Amino acid sequence: MELLERYLNAVRRHLPWLRQDDIIAELRANLEAQLDDKEAELGRPLTKEEAEAWLKQIGPPLQVAARYQHQQYLIGPALFPTYAFVLRLVLAWATVIYVIASVVTIAAQGLGAEASAGISLVHIALRLPWIWIINAGITTLIFAAVERTGARFPGKIYPLAPMTPPWSPLDLPSAGAGDGDWAKPRSFTRALLEVFAGCVLLGWLLLVPHHPFLLLGPGEWYLHSLPYQLAPVWWTFYWLVVCFNIFELAWKLVDLARGAWQRPINRARRLAMHALALVPLCVLLAAPNHALFLLKNPTTDAAAHGATVASANKGVLQAVSILVAIVLLQLLWGIGRASLDAYRKRQAAK
Amino acid sequence: MTLAENIFENLRMELRRGCLTLAVLAQLRQEYYGYTLRKALASRGMEIDENTLYPLLRRLEAQGLLISEWREEDKRNKRFYRLSADGQEIFVRLLKEWNDINTAITNLL
Repeated sequence: MELLERYLNAVRRHLPWLRQDDIIAELRANLEAQLDDKEAELGRPLTKEEAEAWLKQIGPPLQVAARYQHQQYLIGPALFPTYAFVLRLVLAWATVIYVIASVVTIAAQGLGAEASAGISLVHIALRLPWIWIINAGITTLIFAAVERTGARFPGKIYPLAPMTPPWSPLDLPSAGAGDGDWAKPRSFTRALLEVFAGCVLLGWLLLVPHHPFLLLGPGEWYLHSLPYQLAPVWWTFYWLVVCFNIFELAWKLVDLARGAWQRPINRARRLAMHALALVPLCVLLAAPNHALFLLKNPTTDAAAHGATVASANKGVLQAVSILVAIVLLQLLWGIGRASLDAYRKRQAAK
Repeated sequence: MTLAENIFENLRMELRRGCLTLAVLAQLRQEYYGYTLRKALASRGMEIDENTLYPLLRRLEAQGLLISEWREEDKRNKRFYRLSADGQEIFVRLLKEWNDINTAITNLL
């Protein structure tokens, strides 16, 4: 029957190369036997329309051939949970590394050109989906290869076949470990110690401008001999840090007075503190002329020490940029987690 | 197809998948080739689509549960399958499992 031959040829094209002759021979024997039965039942050969309807009922050649493939999935159910976990880790770390590397690159190219820095930030954001796709693709390919190897040599390649490393419930992190110590209620002693430490830190901060050796130690006398001085922006930075500490100390004192120290610190407060910590750093980044260090006597020292000051300014600004990027990422991560938890709670409440 | 019908169809397929293997192993205690096996199963109430049965036979053979032999019958070369020694052992264990599940479900209903 010519239609059956055409059908078998179409199936053959989609079969595994090494086994196609054997599979087609068997399929032909089975289909011919079925055809004989049908024709015996009718007492005549099938018409073209009947043959067409019969082969259509068996199914499209591609689908028929697909059933003979050894493996019809990239990553099977045994490996998939590990794959999904690793994929999430890879995407998160790829994002962090990419953003930090990009910020450092922009900083290294010079912070003077704000406009080009802005354009670069847009480029970073636009390239991020490609970073995700590439990393997801590579991870998927690796896991597909592991799955294929495991399927080809079942049970022979330990630990690829089971993909379940030994574990014990005792090794699991404690409940609430995701939020660290913040999620636990504090003891009265701890709350009191926090206030005491806050007072000591604030006192120390207030004394530093009058007694720089508290910060610099013996380096203070050495710094006096250098031709450099701190730019006025450091005073703004200093007072913002002092304000931040006063604010935090006041909050802790209010907590102590109201007995609120018994409750864990809520997430919104932690995020607010995190966001506030960005302000002094941003002030440094916005320093006039990006000058964090100045020459004590510019007219006489510019020729000898101008380049050193410029280099120091650039280096410190780059370090501050990286710090801002890290703090910002932590803040975004915190906001993302808080939003997800809030969404999950809303969904659960429905 | 409605969502409920779709869910039912998926669950029905899942339920049948394991049963088909057991049915094929049970039937292949006697030798058959693909088409006659399909007819034998259908005559006992176990209809199996050819696109499911024929690849299943090859998978079971690759797993060592069946042995096959090409032989001429009615002037045509056909591949005959029957249970291997390992297949016989697995079949007995699966049958026990099937009976346990059947008893448990009967007790639940």
